[in-house]
This record gives sequence, C-alpha cells and structure tokens, in this order.
Amino acid sequence: MAKASWASRRVAFISTILTLVGWAAFLTTFDGPGMAGSTRRGPGETQLISIQPLPAEEGAMCEQVPASAEETLMAALQQRQDARAASIAARNAASQDRSQLKPVRSIRDPYAAYSSVAVDPVNNEVVLTDENLFQILVYDRTANTPPRARFTEPKRILAGLNTKIEFQCGLYIDPKNGDVYAVNNDTVDTLVIFDRAAKGDVPPNRELHTPHGTFGIAVDEATQEMFLTLQHDSAMVVFRKYAQKDDSPLRLLQGDATGLADPHGIALDPKNGWVFISNHGAVSSRSPRPEGSRSRRGSEKQNWPLERAQAIPGSGRSLPPSIIVHNMKAEGNAAPLRVIQGPKTQFDWPTGLAVDEQQGELYVANDMGNSILVFNVTDSGDIAPKRVIKGPKTNLANPTGVWVDLKNNEVWAANFMNHSATVYPLSASGDVAPLRVIRSGPLDQPALGIGNPHPVAYDSKREQILVPN
Amino acid sequence: MAHPQIAAFARLADQNARPVRKIEGQKTLLGRTMHGLTYDEIHDEFTVPQQFAQAILTFQGGANGETAPLRVIQGSKTRLEAPDRVAVDAVNNEIYVPEGDKILVYDRMANGNVAPKRVIEGPDAGRGLDAVAIDPVNNLLIASAGGGGGDRGNGTRFLVFDRTANGNVKPKMTIRGPRAMGGPFAIYPPKKLILATNRPGGEVLAGDDSYLGAWSYEKSSDGAPLWTIGGPHGVLQMPRGVTLDVKNKSIIASDKRLNSVLTFHLPEMF
Repeated sequence: MAKASWASRRVAFISTILTLVGWAAFLTTFDGPGMAGSTRRGPGETQLISIQPLPAEEGAMCEQVPASAEETLMAALQQRQDARAASIAARNAASQDRSQLKPVRSIRDPYAAYSSVAVDPVNNEVVLTDENLFQILVYDRTANTPPRARFTEPKRILAGLNTKIEFQCGLYIDPKNGDVYAVNNDTVDTLVIFDRAAKGDVPPNRELHTPHGTFGIAVDEATQEMFLTLQHDSAMVVFRKYAQKDDSPLRLLQGDATGLADPHGIALDPKNGWVFISNHGAVSSRSPRPEGSRSRRGSEKQNWPLERAQAIPGSGRSLPPSIIVHNMKAEGNAAPLRVIQGPKTQFDWPTGLAVDEQQGELYVANDMGNSILVFNVTDSGDIAPKRVIKGPKTNLANPTGVWVDLKNNEVWAANFMNHSATVYPLSASGDVAPLRVIRSGPLDQPALGIGNPHPVAYDSKREQILVPN
Repeated sequence: MAHPQIAAFARLADQNARPVRKIEGQKTLLGRTMHGLTYDEIHDEFTVPQQFAQAILTFQGGANGETAPLRVIQGSKTRLEAPDRVAVDAVNNEIYVPEGDKILVYDRMANGNVAPKRVIEGPDAGRGLDAVAIDPVNNLLIASAGGGGGDRGNGTRFLVFDRTANGNVKPKMTIRGPRAMGGPFAIYPPKKLILATNRPGGEVLAGDDSYLGAWSYEKSSDGAPLWTIGGPHGVLQMPRGVTLDVKNKSIIASDKRLNSVLTFHLPEMF
C-alpha cells in the first residue's frame, strides 16, 4: 500500500512537472497578437495574462484563387500569407485610418549589389559601391568568401542619410592617402569624398556639386585634374581634383562631334595623354536656347553642360555602343581621336573602364555580355578584343565596374547581378575561375537588380509587376 | 544607376523573389532614367520613354531578354525633347507624352519619324505638365503639373481636360495635388480616383512624411487627399510611381529610398 502510494505520488509529481514545462514552452513560443517572437518579460513589462479568441472578421477578403497543378508549395504558402494580410487590411479599412497600413508584400533585395570597384594598394584594401542598399564597403584585398559562407563581413561600411550615398556608380581611391571619391548618379548630384578610415553614417569630408547624371570618374594625379562623365547631357567635365561645393568645371566636352552618347565609364592613359569613355549610344543634340532655363545648380557656372532644357526637339538618336578616345585636354565640341565600335567588339552596354598603362591595355566591363573585354589602347574601329574573360567558371554576372591593380597584377570586376566581386590575374583569358570572390550574399540567393524604381506597371494578362530602373 | 532593365515579378513575389523575366541589353534601346511605363491590356504591349534618345519605345507584352521594341517613335518630326512619362489610351488608340509646356498625342501605332496627331499647348493649357493618364470611361485626360519640385513650393495640381482636347484649351477642373509629386500617378475611372505619391520636398533623400494618397476628380478641389497611406512614421520613405491591380484589389507603389516595390491590399477602394 505504502509502495503504491509512493508510486502514485511520483506519477502525480512527474505529471505536474511535465504540465509546467509544457506551459512554459507554450508561453515562450506562442505567436499570437502582439506576441511575435516573445519570451517572458521582465518586471514592469507587458505580460500575457489571458487568451481570448479573435472576433469574427467582416469585410472583403482576398479573392480565392484555385490552385493549379503547377503551383508550388511556396506559392500556396504565399497565398495564405496574402489572405492573412487581407484580413489585416480589412481591419485597417474598418477604422478608416490607412496611414499605418502595411504592405502585404515588398519586393526587395536584402544584399548589396556591387556596381563599381577600386583597390587601395597601399593599405591592401578593396572598396566597393553598393547601389541596392546605398553603401560603400571596404574589405581586405585578399578576402575570399568560402563557398559555404553566406557573405564576407566588410572591414568598414559607410551608409546612412548623412553620407549622401545612394546610386553610386563611379569610384576612385586616392593612391596617396586612400581618400574615397564616390560618384552619385542622378538622385543626389553630389560627388562625396571621405577619409579612408571613415565609417558609419557620417557626412562626407568634402562635397562637390556635380551636373545631373554623373556616372564615371577618373583622376590624373600628375595634373590634379578629375574627369567625370555625364549620362543625361552626353558630356564630360573636368574639375580640379580638390574642387568642392559650387566650384565650376575647368573644361567641358560636349557636342555632336564628340561621340559622347550616354557615356558611362572613363579611364585615363596619362602616358599617352588619352581619355577613354564608354557609351551606351542614346543621345540628343543640344543648343543654347533663350527660353531654355539652366538648372539652379548650373546657373552662373562656367563650363557647365547644356542641359535637357536645351535639347533640340526631335534630334534624338539611338547609336551603336562605342568607346571613344580623346586627348585628355580636349574640350568643346572636339572630335575623338579614335572610336572603337562595331559588331566585332562584342560591346553590349560597355560600362566600367580601366587602363593598364604598363601593358598598354584597356579593360572593359561589358555589362550585358557578362564579360571583361581587353583591347590595346591604340585600337580603333570595328576590332575584336585581344582577350575576353567570359564563361560559367568566371562568375561574371553583369559586370558594371572594373579595376586594374598593377601592384598585384590583378583585375577586379564588380558584378551587379550576383552579389559578388571577382578578381583574376591580369593575363586571364577565356573561361577562367576567379582567384578570389567576395560575396555580399549567399550563393543561392537571386540578385534582383532593382535600382531607383520610379514608375511601376501591372501586366494584368500575366499577373506580373513591371519594374524599370 | 549602373544597369538599366525592366524586371517582371510575379504578382505574389515578395522579398528577394527572382524576377520571372527581364528586358535588358543593347537591342532593347533602353537606358537609364525610365520615368514612365504603361501596360496596354487590350493589345498586350508595354510602352516606355527613352529620355536621352528622345524616343518612345513599345514592346510586345511578353518581351523577354534582349528584345528589340516593336515600334519606336523618334526623329525630327516628333517634337520629342526629354520624354519622361507616357500614357496609352488602348481604347482610342493614342499615346500621350507630356513635355512640360505641352502634351504630344500620337497614334498608338505610330512608328518612326512621325508628327504628333494633335498637341495640347498654350497659356490656357498650363505649364509644367509632367505626367498624364487617360480615362476612356469618362472621356477625360488628367495631367499633373508642378512635378517633383512641387512647382517651387506652390504644390502640384491635377488638370482635367476632355480626352480629345487639342491646342490651347483650359482644363475643365483643377484639383490640388500633393506637395511634391513622387512619380507618375494612376487613376481608377469607375470611382474617378487619382492615386499619387508625395515625396519629401527639396533635396532631402528620404522622409517618413512621404505618403500615397487618393484624390477625387469628380469636381475641382483645393482640399486634402481623401485618404493617405504612409505619412508621419509611415512605411514609405521616397515613394515614386503607382499602379493598380484591379482584379486583386491592390495598389502597387515603388519607393526609391527603400529600393523596393510594395503592394498594399485595399479592397474597399475598388
């Protein structure tokens, strides 16, 4: 009897313990209203004290869509999320206050999209701009993301509203002190310059107010001149390297004879006194017009480009892509010294450029060709590249930035469409694997390539959202 | 922006869902600065302006990859200067392009170096015309004026014309719009609603006072929007364009600072 009583007491004790453990587990995992991811709170904080069923919901719900055989489990789950979101929307509607309405879906890439690259050989670092999350990221030059790693942690990050960093497509590193020069494209119109060690959400150390739509940057250290390409006005401007705020350009290259047509990348060959500029090909002619108002930023400045208000109606052209070669001192409506253009070039949105002065070679980040093209700096006309880095082993995916590191005999590519920067030997050719890869996101995660989505349209036939950059 | 493209995402795409197709590459003639895009449901085409090349490009609805446009309006007769926005009236077969002090109207099938079939312009028609939408149900043309700069502090306006307006015509009504328009707007003709975004003014990069709002075009109005999404401490930072998914009762908006496209479910609006 005593033995049985002890046994029953032991069973009752274990039951009590299990019940308490069960309730504790429930309280730490319950995902009800206001409890997402909650745990027991400290004294003075809100506590779960009772559970009541939600009232029955009224109002329109998501339209029921019959599942087809082709639908994936993920699609079905997304529809369930949609229905949940619809009920939230219906509750918000009932209150007539939509100010805090949350989106049911947000298309957004959570990882950096590298657009341009530059190496600081003195400090053994590589700097990358990110047009997706609006960052400048600094890594050790020899960093190499292992295949199983999600990404490589940068040494420093510049990001935030104070930095004025947005769609940064051009980058230059001062070889003496490591200062970072980063070009904002057309949403900020400001070139930002940071000290090498800057990090976080800090204001630039220096700013230069640039014409609208600036893309590429190159600096001639011998003359202390800074070259910028301008997409919107199909022009190139040259500033003093240390220009700031509202300083005027020293000279301007713009006009129908120049060959400039939606210019992107720019690179210098100081040994020969040449400047190389890549063009996507869209252009219109400009003419000073009395009724054409200059932008506030451009007023009272010298050597400012003729802007969109001075476009000649109906003068637009869609030209083949090209790389034009000018004298570094060219200005006005000067014709190029040479033009590389034609089907043999393989150009398909040629974007970033870099020059190897020692070998006399020009490197081209050929965005839509998924390739790096190499030409002689003396090439002209419809000519095939002397080397092409391209193929599945290369990991190139819409490269928009390229950099030649002569100290370490390497060429870098910023790949806009796979969260990676890749590095190759300068002599690389064909379908070669990179020496190293720096990734900002996991290998299996898609890069969306969204950049400054402005309009948005809905294709009702295919039930698709059209998002242009 | 380093890489131009038009990406198509499934309606239910969320977070970093892969686009189902992309239109990109040299043959597309696309370029940076696509500030307008419209889908023509009747003819299954989409149309986009090319500001730098002064062109209007129309593609097959299912275009994918490096595809050439079906038609290109470009050349000396077009009067195109810096086309930013575009609207297609699929019912009456016309393309509308606002160009500041005028609205150019082309035949929908226009191709090559063609002159506009009519032009709305003159002192009565207004200036700063920067976006347009066509209401074929009520035979109206709605244009916005004032733009992202909010007409230098005076705010924006919606001007409502007869759909067939031509020359120097006065708007039938004027509606006060957002302080500074974020991008192209959308309309919902059955309820005569305009959906547009308000961005932070000046050179501010982002602000949580941004919102998406609805205005009625039943009559002239100088009042506030009927309702807004966002606003103080809202989800939007720098909203741009708006479009509607009528079947699924949703509003879709883009946001530059979030670099994102957001879908709001709002069944009671439809």
